[in-house]
Amino acid sequence: MDLPYRRYFEEIPCYVTVQDRDFRVVDANRRFREDFGDPKGRFCYQVYKNRPERCEICPVDQTFEDGQCHRNEEQVLTLDGRQISVMVYTSPIHDETGAITSVLEISADITEVKTLQRHLKESQRRFRLLFEEVPCFISIQDPELRIVDTNRSFKENFGGFPGSKCYEIYKHRDEECVNCAVRQTFKDGKIHHSEEVVTSIQGEQLNTLVFSAPIHDANGEIQYVMEMSTNITPIRELQSQLESIGLLISSVSHNIKGLLTGLDGGMYLVNTGLQKNNQQRIGQGWEMVQRNIERIRGTVMNILYYAKKREPSWEAVAAPALVEEVCGLIEPKARENGVALVRDIDGGAGEFEADAKAMRALLINLVENSVDACRVDTKKPSHAVTVRLKGLPDQMVFEIADDGIGMDRRTREKAFTLFFSSKGSEGTGLGLFIANGIAQAHHGRIGIESELDKGTRFVVTIPRSRKVPDQGGKPEP
Amino acid sequence: MAAEKKTILVVDDEPDVRTFLSTLFEDNGYATVMAQDGNEGLSRVKEKAPDLVTLDITMPNKSGVRFYREMKESAEWKKVPIVIVTGVSGDFRTFISTRKKVPPPEGYLSKPIDKTEILNLVKKLA
Repeated sequence: MDLPYRRYFEEIPCYVTVQDRDFRVVDANRRFREDFGDPKGRFCYQVYKNRPERCEICPVDQTFEDGQCHRNEEQVLTLDGRQISVMVYTSPIHDETGAITSVLEISADITEVKTLQRHLKESQRRFRLLFEEVPCFISIQDPELRIVDTNRSFKENFGGFPGSKCYEIYKHRDEECVNCAVRQTFKDGKIHHSEEVVTSIQGEQLNTLVFSAPIHDANGEIQYVMEMSTNITPIRELQSQLESIGLLISSVSHNIKGLLTGLDGGMYLVNTGLQKNNQQRIGQGWEMVQRNIERIRGTVMNILYYAKKREPSWEAVAAPALVEEVCGLIEPKARENGVALVRDIDGGAGEFEADAKAMRALLINLVENSVDACRVDTKKPSHAVTVRLKGLPDQMVFEIADDGIGMDRRTREKAFTLFFSSKGSEGTGLGLFIANGIAQAHHGRIGIESELDKGTRFVVTIPRSRKVPDQGGKPEP
Repeated sequence: MAAEKKTILVVDDEPDVRTFLSTLFEDNGYATVMAQDGNEGLSRVKEKAPDLVTLDITMPNKSGVRFYREMKESAEWKKVPIVIVTGVSGDFRTFISTRKKVPPPEGYLSKPIDKTEILNLVKKLA
């Protein structure tokens, strides 16, 4: 080799070797000799890797085979025992006839790059872990609001996503939301937030607080937007409970004021009756006192049921006796209001599994409601409430039908809503709400059929035996 | 011959309140007429205009509110004093504020009813 080129060859800051067909190192530069010693006709694989035979994949061999340049990544071992990563490039050397006589191999030390790559991978893994395990629903969305990545919590609650749009997954609809936070972030690159109600794959409605943040590419353009949603359902539930308690207090105090006025009236009649020695007035007043005390009792029981959603205390309850008892309790009120109470009880209905006190409260609420519906109806000369009991093989059916004022559609639809009352100052809006809650706790339901001015029919269906919660297949002890 | 008794119309959907008020008024020298809602109240007024009305405005179907408006919009009956008797204190304010063109009631009492207070008010107005 001419002297200047020899010098360049020596000074190249890589490991440079020339190898013959047997992979014998016939020449090497200074850098190579410094780190691997004088090859002195040894084989490449001996010098670089300290192995007794050639490597399986050898770029030098490949170049001898096809005359092309090749490249490969290798781990090599220096004289002083350092493992270094190298990128190997090979190139053929031809003689005058064009035949390949040897191969030039240049290996660049890429250990630092490899270390950086490893660190990068490690930090990527850590960030991925963080992304996956954050207790929020995270999705990465493209400008079409297509979901391109999600974390574990998102997948568990909203399922797979390949290419689906955000609103399809979260809202089960095919239109973009108005004032979409992600859309706004794509527009102005800022963080936006909103509150949304979304539906999980389990069909559960969740209140979420949504934050959207931009993800920029290398040129600073917004490539994706990250949407992070926190489940705030428990907070909203608490808030609505507090609101309900406020409404309950106002509704109940209103109701109590009415009942106190009734009690005042009864006391006035009793006191003035005593002064005037008017037996009829005393009797009338005393009835008013009793009636209003009975109603206060009912209100208090309803508040208790409302305040404490309790698990039914299950026992075998004889349905015919229960219905008789309820009818007996309401009969005086019905008679007083000119309402006939008709019993149609299947005496052989037998027993069912229930909370007797709760079921009594449920039936009293419904029968009283029907008597009230008749009492306020001035359009018919006489009224009747029919209480029916049918025992079916696997369920008890209680039916309470009246020919009172009936309900329009709005009233019917809202009948079981908390604090909805069509009774003016008399109702708390608790009765039917609680009746419905009790039916549900018994895995049953209440149906309403009603027509304005014609009357209303409540049908309560309760399973004969309670559904025992699934024990997850645990063996009996 | 003693002057004819003044008549008070008691409009309340709650029978016990009607019994209470009518007995109280009759014991104190008034004649009473009763109605269980606003519509029935209007029929009673048409039969014979009373000297005063006690009116519950929280009755089913808002008939108390309608009764009040019809009374105050009628040339014939707008002079009949009306005492609102209600269990909801907030009701009264919204009742007035949403009906600016209708004059306020002559009297307002909240349940439970104070006997002396209602008798004094009735004596002053009727």
